Amino acid sequence: MSNDSPTFIGRLLSSVEFKLIFSWLLVVLATMALDTNHTYWDSPGEAAQLVLRQTVLLGFFALGSAIIIISGGIDLSSGSVIAMSATVFGSLMIVLDPEGFRQGHVSTVAVVLAIAGTLLVGAMVGTLHAWLITSVGLPPFVATLATLVGLRSFSRGLTPTLTGGKSQIDFPDADLRDVLKDVTSISIVFVLFALVLWILMSRTVTGRHLQAMGGNEQAAKLSGIRTDRMKWLAYVIGAVSASIVGIIMFADSGSAKPDAMARGYELNAIAASVIGGCSLQGGLGTIPGTILGCLFLRTIIDAVQKIVGAGSDVFEGMIVGIVVVVAVTFSQRGGGKLVGKRFFSNEIGWTVIPALGLLSGLSYLLFFGNREWYAPYQAVVVFFVVVSTLIARAVMESFTKSSDAP
Amino acid sequence: MTSPIISIEKISKHFGGTRALHQVSFDVMPGELHAICGENGAGKSTLMKILSGVITDYDGQLYIDGQPVEFRGTRDAETMGISIIHQELNLVEQLSISANIFLGREMRSGWIFRNDRDMHQAASELLRSLDCDIPTTRLAGSLRVGDQQLIEIAKALSLHSRIVVMDEPTSALTESEVKRLYRVIAKLRSQGATILYISHKMDEVFDLSDRITVMRDGQFIQTLTTKQTNPRQITKLMVGRDIESLDLGPRPERGDKILEVRNLSLAWPGHARGYRLKDISLDLHRGEVLGIAGLMGAGRTELLECLFGASEIAPTGEILLDGDSIMPRHPSEAKRWGLALVTEDRKRLGIFSNMNVGRNLSICAMREATIGPLLSDAKERDVCDAMVEKLKIKTAGLEAPIGSLSGGNQQKCIVGRWLQTNPKVLLLDDPTRGVDVGAKAELYRVIRGLCSEGLGVIVTSSELPELLTLSDRIMVLSEGRKTAEFAIEEATQELIMEAATGGWQPSEGLVASDD
Repeated sequence: MSNDSPTFIGRLLSSVEFKLIFSWLLVVLATMALDTNHTYWDSPGEAAQLVLRQTVLLGFFALGSAIIIISGGIDLSSGSVIAMSATVFGSLMIVLDPEGFRQGHVSTVAVVLAIAGTLLVGAMVGTLHAWLITSVGLPPFVATLATLVGLRSFSRGLTPTLTGGKSQIDFPDADLRDVLKDVTSISIVFVLFALVLWILMSRTVTGRHLQAMGGNEQAAKLSGIRTDRMKWLAYVIGAVSASIVGIIMFADSGSAKPDAMARGYELNAIAASVIGGCSLQGGLGTIPGTILGCLFLRTIIDAVQKIVGAGSDVFEGMIVGIVVVVAVTFSQRGGGKLVGKRFFSNEIGWTVIPALGLLSGLSYLLFFGNREWYAPYQAVVVFFVVVSTLIARAVMESFTKSSDAP
Repeated sequence: MTSPIISIEKISKHFGGTRALHQVSFDVMPGELHAICGENGAGKSTLMKILSGVITDYDGQLYIDGQPVEFRGTRDAETMGISIIHQELNLVEQLSISANIFLGREMRSGWIFRNDRDMHQAASELLRSLDCDIPTTRLAGSLRVGDQQLIEIAKALSLHSRIVVMDEPTSALTESEVKRLYRVIAKLRSQGATILYISHKMDEVFDLSDRITVMRDGQFIQTLTTKQTNPRQITKLMVGRDIESLDLGPRPERGDKILEVRNLSLAWPGHARGYRLKDISLDLHRGEVLGIAGLMGAGRTELLECLFGASEIAPTGEILLDGDSIMPRHPSEAKRWGLALVTEDRKRLGIFSNMNVGRNLSICAMREATIGPLLSDAKERDVCDAMVEKLKIKTAGLEAPIGSLSGGNQQKCIVGRWLQTNPKVLLLDDPTRGVDVGAKAELYRVIRGLCSEGLGVIVTSSELPELLTLSDRIMVLSEGRKTAEFAIEEATQELIMEAATGGWQPSEGLVASDD
């Protein structure tokens, strides 16, 4: 972007990236203030490392997902591709160096070949997606839904045949594992990966064509862009990025369990892209925005775990859900304003009020039920406060004139 | 003398800045078949939408049976006994015939249950009265277009409509289906229905109608009794539009032949006609504008799409560019050969609405703006600035969103996008649609300027004066065939319109088969 534009500051302030950095700082400050264990004060390095590791793991395949979304598609298969890649990586090591695998020291040649092979398999999955979409003519949703369920099952079938009946592959080599799970090394790889994709999307003809295709596929085709090849590229990047995560997660968790590994991760990737400013209609979104989206999402999950102290990822899905709804509501074109918009004044609006009240009351119970100052009446109070606030808002809305007529 | 069943009084309608109808007034008598004729954009369909309650905000007054009425929706019009058979049929393809006929007013048994049996029975009776014995449990989507249209007519019958509006009903029918439609129309009339029949096919209008109303540019021109007029007079009234005299300077010298098309045909599987284009041949020289005239559905857009490799199925025939035989199968191939297409539907097929003006300008020739493998902002800006200058595009800057530009300037951006590729032949599909008068003249000048640089230009338009202003030769398409070609000196609106409406030959087989 050119710096000579008079509204440069204005555009910076209204950009998704800036809003995300600002909200991220708020979340960090809130965690510092509210976390009763004071983790962020006492061991900032450790806490940062934890968030960084999770952000990087999410970031790899969220970037792949973002490129697909920017180019007008969707990839539901990343979670299964991660599980499959971990399985394939393990399987290749078994096949290439069975002796070393058993003794816990896989030869470097075998490791390099196994990594290359796994990435190649990822590229094949991407090619399969592109073929299903461009030549067979399936909608991207259906094509990647099929591989979402299909590839995981394929990996589950593959594992016992190579491990002699076990349902998981254990990571064979402790030294290799330390390299592959090391937060510094994966962060470096991630930075390089992100840099390449960033240059691709913002500084090359291909990137512009991908974005144009996402914005208006017909017009892109009529402008002489080979949209089928662009789609191939996008889906290959998407699947290969998930394969990278598969390799790292295999090392990180110490075993590849294809039935449970990375289950549902595809939705986190899509959520991070959307939070980072990608539009599911295509054509909009940036690589830096998506990285910030991942950082924000992982930080807020971490923050809730710290504040609530649940210590598990029980609430992860809830947080992702709420953050996506709020982020998209505020980043919609013409949206983002709470004043003058009608949320509750029609039949559906009135009907949803008790549901939102119940949700708030129950969440309160779930979050704080284990604290010593907790008492059941508090959840009831929360319910009534939320319900009466929303009713007040609904009544107010029905008295003001709507600015957006249907 | 009976009083009119419909009186239209001073009805006007604007869409944004464009005037669709202006002070239209005329009467329709009960029981007559009243044809409404006019060119594309004459306002026929808009008027019918007002009459059937599809459009509810307009100026002027509508009277039914002498009573002023104001419809709030199609339901109101249906209550008054008015039904419309749209050109694009409004059926839910996944539902059965009877479900479609009774959609929105389903029969019930008691409060809860739908009474499918009674509906099927009633629908069957209606269809039988229309000489049609298709089981009413079949899905609407599985029917041929002609049968689908009968379903719409059956729906009108089930509403006990006294007034039936038919918008170009024969455009997708086979000859035998047209005959059946004629019988159905005769039947409707024998039951006392009044029919408003929109068509630009002179043979049908003269076979069927009692009176003809001609509209032009959103205005009422004249109502004539069919027996006292002839097709030539009607076409003349349809086109009697004033030509704004516009001096574009001298026409450039005609150069060598650049494009030659031989016997181009494009199949249309599943359609009664079987083809979208049939045996089209044309030549184009450097520095020349070839205009293509034709009514809606004549195949203008399809022809340009074939030349540009953008048609869904491959055409047959031969395309020669500079003597080389080419048959592009993808726009990127056409681009490499030096062809450029500016599409008709700017919003859907042209602009990238979430990109700015600069990016919309550079998209076709990104290679011009790179250093090595990377894009250079500076080079891209230079290339785009030069084009903004050349085409005099009015924009707040290259960073401005494309949507902030007027229609004419958006169109210039798309033309400019293609000029970056240094094309030999420029294909313009209705380039001034939705462009205001001043911007039109500027686009004309741009086109003339490009010709003098040696480009060959093919331009289609739904406005004859535009073609007469721009073109050096005009070719006329009618229903996928080339029906005439005129040098500009001999072309007149009347001649073109006659060729576009397929002339008029009395069709014995079709006349009055009800007796």
